Amino acid sequence: MQVYKAFFKIILKNRIQLMIYLVVFMVLALLLSSSYNPPQDTDFTKVKVNIAFINDDIDSPLVAGLQTYLGENANLVAIPDDTQKLQDALFFRDVEYILRVPVGFTDAMLSGSAVQLEKTTVPDSTSNIYMDLLINKYLNTANTYTTYLPGLSQTDLVAHLQEDLANATEVTMISSGTHSAYAEKSGYYFNYLSYSLFAILILGICSVMLVFNNTDLKRRNLVSPLRSANMNFQMILGNLSFAVITWLVLISASFVMYGSFMFTATGRLLLLNSFVFTLAALSISYLIGNLVKSRGAMSAVANVFALGTSFISGVFVPQALLGDNVLTIASFTPTYWYVKANNEITAAVNFNAASLTSIFTSMIVILGFAVAVLAVTLVLIKQRRLDA
Amino acid sequence: MLINVKNLVKRYGDLIALDHFNLEVQEGEILGLLGPNGSGKTTAINCILSLLKYDKGTIELYDQPMTPDAYDIKRNIGVVMQNVAIFDELTVYENIDYFCGLYISDKHTRKKLVAEAIAFVGLGDFKKFSPKKLSGGLLRRLNIACGIAHKPKLIILDEPTVAVDPQSRNNILEGIMELNRQGATIIYTTHYMEEVEQICSRIAIMDKGKIIAMGTNEELKQMIKSGEHINLELLNPEHLELSEITALPHIISAELTDHQLVVKSGRGKNTLIAILDYLKGRNITIGKIYSEPPTLNDVFLEITGKALRD
Repeated sequence: MQVYKAFFKIILKNRIQLMIYLVVFMVLALLLSSSYNPPQDTDFTKVKVNIAFINDDIDSPLVAGLQTYLGENANLVAIPDDTQKLQDALFFRDVEYILRVPVGFTDAMLSGSAVQLEKTTVPDSTSNIYMDLLINKYLNTANTYTTYLPGLSQTDLVAHLQEDLANATEVTMISSGTHSAYAEKSGYYFNYLSYSLFAILILGICSVMLVFNNTDLKRRNLVSPLRSANMNFQMILGNLSFAVITWLVLISASFVMYGSFMFTATGRLLLLNSFVFTLAALSISYLIGNLVKSRGAMSAVANVFALGTSFISGVFVPQALLGDNVLTIASFTPTYWYVKANNEITAAVNFNAASLTSIFTSMIVILGFAVAVLAVTLVLIKQRRLDA
Repeated sequence: MLINVKNLVKRYGDLIALDHFNLEVQEGEILGLLGPNGSGKTTAINCILSLLKYDKGTIELYDQPMTPDAYDIKRNIGVVMQNVAIFDELTVYENIDYFCGLYISDKHTRKKLVAEAIAFVGLGDFKKFSPKKLSGGLLRRLNIACGIAHKPKLIILDEPTVAVDPQSRNNILEGIMELNRQGATIIYTTHYMEEVEQICSRIAIMDKGKIIAMGTNEELKQMIKSGEHINLELLNPEHLELSEITALPHIISAELTDHQLVVKSGRGKNTLIAILDYLKGRNITIGKIYSEPPTLNDVFLEITGKALRD
């Protein structure tokens, strides 16, 4: 196992550079993921709209009832009945809705005649619809009473309306699962991990491959009785060991931060996904390691490839905010499928066949990348050996 | 026969690097492959080691065809490449251990062999040094130690003394002779004729991808017409007639520069006496006189019409 031992001696010689990357990435990942606050579920609070209520009709109990009802669901703002002042109030958003009760409203309502309330609103305001619903609800209920109980007095009508409109349905959220606060934070960390992992693997593996692919050393190895299959085996074993060690170091931080959460189904799926991604990153790093010719190129490729794929695949910017064209290009990289699977894992409250199928499909695609790139690399190595 | 190369042809596009190259190497000898830069020495070595594909011919080592997969043959070969091929990231000891480990899997045997190789090249004080801290001569020695640590039966050294100071060069050459005394067969390529004259039992002179002459040092020098070069410092050369000197028996050419007369003689006897008699007859006083035997450069010059280092 001379090659395997030499592999790690070379890695150890480059440990300072790798440690710098590792520590910087880990600190950044920890800071960013811990400072990230996912949207929290909050109690429902009614929002009251500012409205102006102007009555041109008589001060009847029906109008008073309407005003009281609206006052319970909106903020009644007192504004003088002056066109200029009303327009200013709307313009400066002191009110968003002005309701004018026309002359003859009470009589028309009680007689069952058609009646039209006048409204002035802020254009394209969502609160208009809300206020329309409230007013329609009051008038429709009143209309129902006057139609079916024609002799009902205004006082009784208003009393019935108050009672009916006060009814509310109690809603209870029923859910069979709970969504841990760690789910999104850990997803963020694991997404970011892809960048660190890629950069460290490319740097580490390239630094070894640059040495072994040095023409003189390669020829020296070729004249030895070491079989090429054995050489490749030791090299791949070295790469695999280095990748697994890097992965273990990087995921160890997730255990420190999220503790027992990492043993839940979500945590375990995130770990599995990151391990599968490690294999793809390793495979690509091995290919790059066999292509780059200098240390300068190695650093450039490590930064450009790791950063580039991370940007277009949704590591730093959520995939939902990226354009379709960008995502189409990103889908040719394993990082895209890794981030996609991570997002699905952390978004799922329960895992069912449909969600798991999608998650595992992404993992299989990542694994496909690993196998395909490794195959290309082995062909390349064999071809170079023949051309030597 | 240890190595038998027949009619080897290697082309790089239109350039013929090896032109029906033939070579036979016997067990126990030090064969020097001498030739100017670009004569095909390294190409021949690379073909013998199966590092290069060739267009035509056969190569046999230990009576078996040499191929990239001939691992049993490779086990008996030690190679010292022209360029230093070591790991900068490993120490001197680790480098020798790495290359020895490609041949010897047993840890204890390897430890002993590595220690012997370090002692052999005199790197005992530098075992834990990084190669980056070694001088050019020490690096060459490390390169040799990496190639010979596993005690191979056949050692191929491709210009191992390039860019090495005279003292280190002598150490390397003495080491090579010691390896041969220990039983190793050696192929030594170089363009320094002094080196092959010093250590090789047989010399093959190469030019344009072919071996143009082969034999021992003496045999090669016997192949050519020219004998010694006689140098005379004349105090009163104005009485000299060059045509009379060249008319003397066995004289090939004579040249007078300032007070220095250089006479190139053939393989006849008493040439120097004839020259001295002539000078005495002319009352020419001699300040200094010395004679140089023919060199391999003369051999090369006479066969190819150009000097080895042209």
